[in-house]
Amino acid sequence: MRNNSFFYFLTLNLLKEKRRFVGIVLISTLLIFLLSSVLFISSSIKHTLNQTLIAQPDFIVQNIKGGRVSPIKDEQVDKIVDIFGVKKVTKRVYGRYFFDDKYSALIIGVDFLDEQSNKKLAKIMDSVDLKSFLSKDNMLVGQGVLNYLKSHYYTSNYNFLTPSGQMQKVNIFKALNVKSSLLSNDIIVMPLELAQKVLGLKENELTDIALNVPNDSEWANIKAKLESLNFSTRVVTKKDMKKAYENLFNYKGGLFLVLYLIVIATFSLLLYLRYSLASSLERKEIAILRAVGWSIKDVLKLKFLENIFLVIFAFVLGSSLAYIYVFILGAPLLKDIFLGGANLKQFTTFTPVVDYSVLSTIFIVFAVAFLGSVLIPVWKIAVTEPKEAL
Amino acid sequence: MNELFLNNYVIVYLFSEAVLFLIALYAFFKDISILRFWDFNNFSSKQLKLEKQSYLLSTIATFIFTLKLTLLIYFVYMIDSLSIIIPGAMCGAGVISANSYGMSLLFVKLITIFTFLLFLTLNNLDLKAKNYPLLKFKSWVLLAGLLLIFLETYLDIAYLFNIDLSVPVSCCSALFGNLEGANPLPFGLDIKMLLILYYTLFVSIILSLLLDNKLLTAVTLILFAVISYYAVVYFFGTYIYELPTHKCPFCMMQKEYYYIGYFVWGTLFSALFFGLIWVIIGLLKYESKVLKRITVTSLVLFVSLCSAYVLYYYFKNGVFL
Amino acid sequence: MVKIENLNKFYEIDGQKQYVLNAINLNIQKGECVILKGVSGSGKTTLLSIIAGLDKPSSGKVLVDGEPISKLPDMHLSSFRAQKIGIVFQNFNLLDGVSLADNAMVPLIASGIGLKEAKLKAQDALKLANIDHKANKTPIELSGGEKQRGAIARALVANPNLILCDEPTANLDRANSLSFIQTLKELHNMGKTIIVATHDSLFEELDFEHRVVEISQGSLVGRG
Repeated sequence: MRNNSFFYFLTLNLLKEKRRFVGIVLISTLLIFLLSSVLFISSSIKHTLNQTLIAQPDFIVQNIKGGRVSPIKDEQVDKIVDIFGVKKVTKRVYGRYFFDDKYSALIIGVDFLDEQSNKKLAKIMDSVDLKSFLSKDNMLVGQGVLNYLKSHYYTSNYNFLTPSGQMQKVNIFKALNVKSSLLSNDIIVMPLELAQKVLGLKENELTDIALNVPNDSEWANIKAKLESLNFSTRVVTKKDMKKAYENLFNYKGGLFLVLYLIVIATFSLLLYLRYSLASSLERKEIAILRAVGWSIKDVLKLKFLENIFLVIFAFVLGSSLAYIYVFILGAPLLKDIFLGGANLKQFTTFTPVVDYSVLSTIFIVFAVAFLGSVLIPVWKIAVTEPKEAL
Repeated sequence: MNELFLNNYVIVYLFSEAVLFLIALYAFFKDISILRFWDFNNFSSKQLKLEKQSYLLSTIATFIFTLKLTLLIYFVYMIDSLSIIIPGAMCGAGVISANSYGMSLLFVKLITIFTFLLFLTLNNLDLKAKNYPLLKFKSWVLLAGLLLIFLETYLDIAYLFNIDLSVPVSCCSALFGNLEGANPLPFGLDIKMLLILYYTLFVSIILSLLLDNKLLTAVTLILFAVISYYAVVYFFGTYIYELPTHKCPFCMMQKEYYYIGYFVWGTLFSALFFGLIWVIIGLLKYESKVLKRITVTSLVLFVSLCSAYVLYYYFKNGVFL
Repeated sequence: MVKIENLNKFYEIDGQKQYVLNAINLNIQKGECVILKGVSGSGKTTLLSIIAGLDKPSSGKVLVDGEPISKLPDMHLSSFRAQKIGIVFQNFNLLDGVSLADNAMVPLIASGIGLKEAKLKAQDALKLANIDHKANKTPIELSGGEKQRGAIARALVANPNLILCDEPTANLDRANSLSFIQTLKELHNMGKTIIVATHDSLFEELDFEHRVVEISQGSLVGRG
């Protein structure tokens, strides 16, 4: 490339014409920046949700009353364990506790004596002395909860108000070891029985039951069996959840993208007009090139490489800026627009995930629109008669 | 309308296809006027205009070809990603067979790319000569390519609008697995015969290329492509997945298998397309060493890659699947 | 070198043929220097541009170095022009904002030549045209005479056998015009075929062998 006279001339020409390109590059960069930011945010959220989904059980069995989820009796667990092919049946107790109108935390009840759940918790529990933790009513709190409690002068314990109106005093044992702020910022971990009390469940009631089915070709089968256990049972599979997430973000992202394409179409039209109105100076230059021995093909090559360079330049610049804006600056302004309404306030920072599919989507949208609209005007300039140089 | 049309990939894909359709439509009329009025011996300004327009057409063809190739990869990726929201689908195989248009669409896409590749090759030869000897022929080829794009656009719409998200589709194990011992292979072949054919045809293609035998090359290439499809799905694929029951042409394009499927199918189609183009221009009395070299290289890459998976598995585990 | 047979160039206006060039026959030998003389509007620039392949005739035959130049497809015509023909334009036609050295390189680029070789050749051509001391200047920083010499360097860079000049002295003062004629003489001595379209009377008293062909209202005056 270094010894290629064509590329030398191309760069020469680009530098010479830079003032002509500044406007186009600026708008292009802005458009790419906008699309990249939105897609980066949505793919980051999607990635994080999928990440949490991986840790989720394959099936969740819920009890439905009047179309709403209600506590499920723990005798169901014994029935489920008997189904062939089912593994890791776990009793789950969890729910939101509202400290005030604005602040709430997720309470998770854990059966600390159960070996399986123990394994899962090993990571966050690594430095907790279980014996002393279980000897009293203790809880582990996430950093967000700890900060809230501290700011309200609860330093050693907190009195939960149960739905039946009773007070339940629980000691703050320790702050959770925070690695991914996304997951454990606003959570409270306490023993299962204690969580039942705080959330107002009876001793034999659970929020839901989770289970795994390792052989995925049996999923449909097992789902049918679970549903036939009890009339009021609802079974949610991991795939259902994934689909729900997917559709939620497709809806937001898709709506944006459709609007964005309208903007792109307008931009294309402007670009088409801009290129169609080639200045007489530009025509003259092409005529000179043609007169001294450049073929139409050479001129087309020059002009297209010029435009491809502009596209790539704007793409790299726009998407890099978007990267900085979203993943380093945390997408101020746009975050509120994108997440507005949804209760996703745990997204304080975005995990940087940029995969090829997102980048290629951005590039394809832009390159197709840009190059498609300059195609015919560029050809019109390229076939300028060389005699115009005379 | 359903959730499908809010998927980013689908929107971008349809947008690009729509832009290409408009450009193809424009080119269609220009190509018709070249076919009707071209007269190289005429000095008229009309003829001069047509000569300039032929440059526009080759520019458009290059643009369409490049994008169609990119969009084919994008399409396959899109199909695969849709398997999340289409019930029953585990990979692209289920999604593409969600209705009868899917496979036709994929097939038309491949033929379109081949046609444009042929046009670009002919165009190159035509411009090298001093009297546009291939102009009529290449314009007909382009016309065919543009018509294929119209067909493709129709199939795009027919396919995507007819995916019913409430009806579960089959997954690849149901589509390609052995159902009740029925033999899925063509001509009553078994795996052993299939492999013998596969390697025999490979050697025959190389030989007929070396002997410059056009007809033999074309026949062996087409046979080889058909046999390779079955060989990859029913034999080599199982080594890529390292699972004797996993038979699927799509799963190997997923991340879990390092996207190797794109390379496997890419080399096969590259060998087939460039080989056939070499045959076609050979029949028009043009020689191209470059085309021959690309054909042989792709072919060798394809066969070595497939074989390497089998050998790797054997050396690692000491047995075949 | 140049053989023109029964060349016509006309435009049709309201069904009426307006002839710019009418039945031109002209033979130019290798190494000849031809002065194409005529008032403006006589058709000499059109004739020159047809010889250069910049314009197409309406009918007739034009052979340049044995090639039927008016019937070559663009790709061949262009590379023929790049390699075999050097053109010096009336208003120099250098690319603005590009140094003389790079300007001189332009005809070589389309042929896919390496950058180093192109730069060397451009340097040689500038030396030949006696302007290498201004190689890094852009046209805007140069005088008319200097631009002219830059244009000559560009015309010579591919070492063509045929040099075409369109009104080369129209934008020059007398001193520069005389120096241009001097350059022309050197090129003539190098054995180049030269065609100059001009109405400048300076070309009537050249001190080297040449032929004057007069053109008037699209036809050659006297024998071609």
